[in-house]
Amino acid sequence: MSEARDLAERAGDRDPRVGLRAVAALRRLLEQLEAVQVRSARNQGWSWQEIAAELGVSRQAVHKKYGRQ
Amino acid sequence: MFERFTKDARDVVRGAAVHSERSGSQSVGAEHILLALLDGETGRASLALAALGLAERGESVRRALEAAHRRAGLTRAEADALAGLGIDVSAIVSRVEEVHGVGALSGDRGDKGWWSGRRSFSRGAKDVLERALRAALARRDRHVGDEHILLALTVLPGVPAEILADHGVTYESVTRVLNGQGESQAG
Repeated sequence: MSEARDLAERAGDRDPRVGLRAVAALRRLLEQLEAVQVRSARNQGWSWQEIAAELGVSRQAVHKKYGRQ
Repeated sequence: MFERFTKDARDVVRGAAVHSERSGSQSVGAEHILLALLDGETGRASLALAALGLAERGESVRRALEAAHRRAGLTRAEADALAGLGIDVSAIVSRVEEVHGVGALSGDRGDKGWWSGRRSFSRGAKDVLERALRAALARRDRHVGDEHILLALTVLPGVPAEILADHGVTYESVTRVLNGQGESQAG
């Protein structure tokens, strides 16, 4: 509990710049993790529909983002 | 756009593609442009970098770029901000590389090119070249030279700008030595 509270306090750092930078960095990290996992799933023969279902997005969204142009 | 690029600037673009290929990256990133700039010997950017003492510190820049790779291409400031949230970026990179191979989280957020296996310029690299064009316009220079590519790298937020600043290379310091060069050439 106290550990969670510490984290929450740090996440709400008083300097907005630090907090916003962390959010932006997390978003970029997330994008890269998603790309790695989608590529891996495709290599293992997953359909766009299956990938989309796991990611909780529409098939069109994931295909538009990662599909062959 | 490239018709306005000087020979030195074109050499940097070509060199960046070679660095990208050598590193096994799927797209050309801003970091490959920085590596290509370090290779130059004759351009105005090379002279500016030498004047700022970077000629002897190329190895230090290369090491800093490798370190950024282990942070999934995030800047040190970004990795520190995430550490503040309890997120250890290097641990995530290690885990992903264990399963998906070294460089899986390479940090080059190429646009669609990576999927079809074509070598393309990442969004970041395209931003650098567009910004170089704007830097040339701002300085009322008719051509886009390697010095404008260097200026672009110093102003676009990201790993190259952070590393350059760590080595004393900023928009201001580059502008200062470029203006000095211009005066000595004019005189």
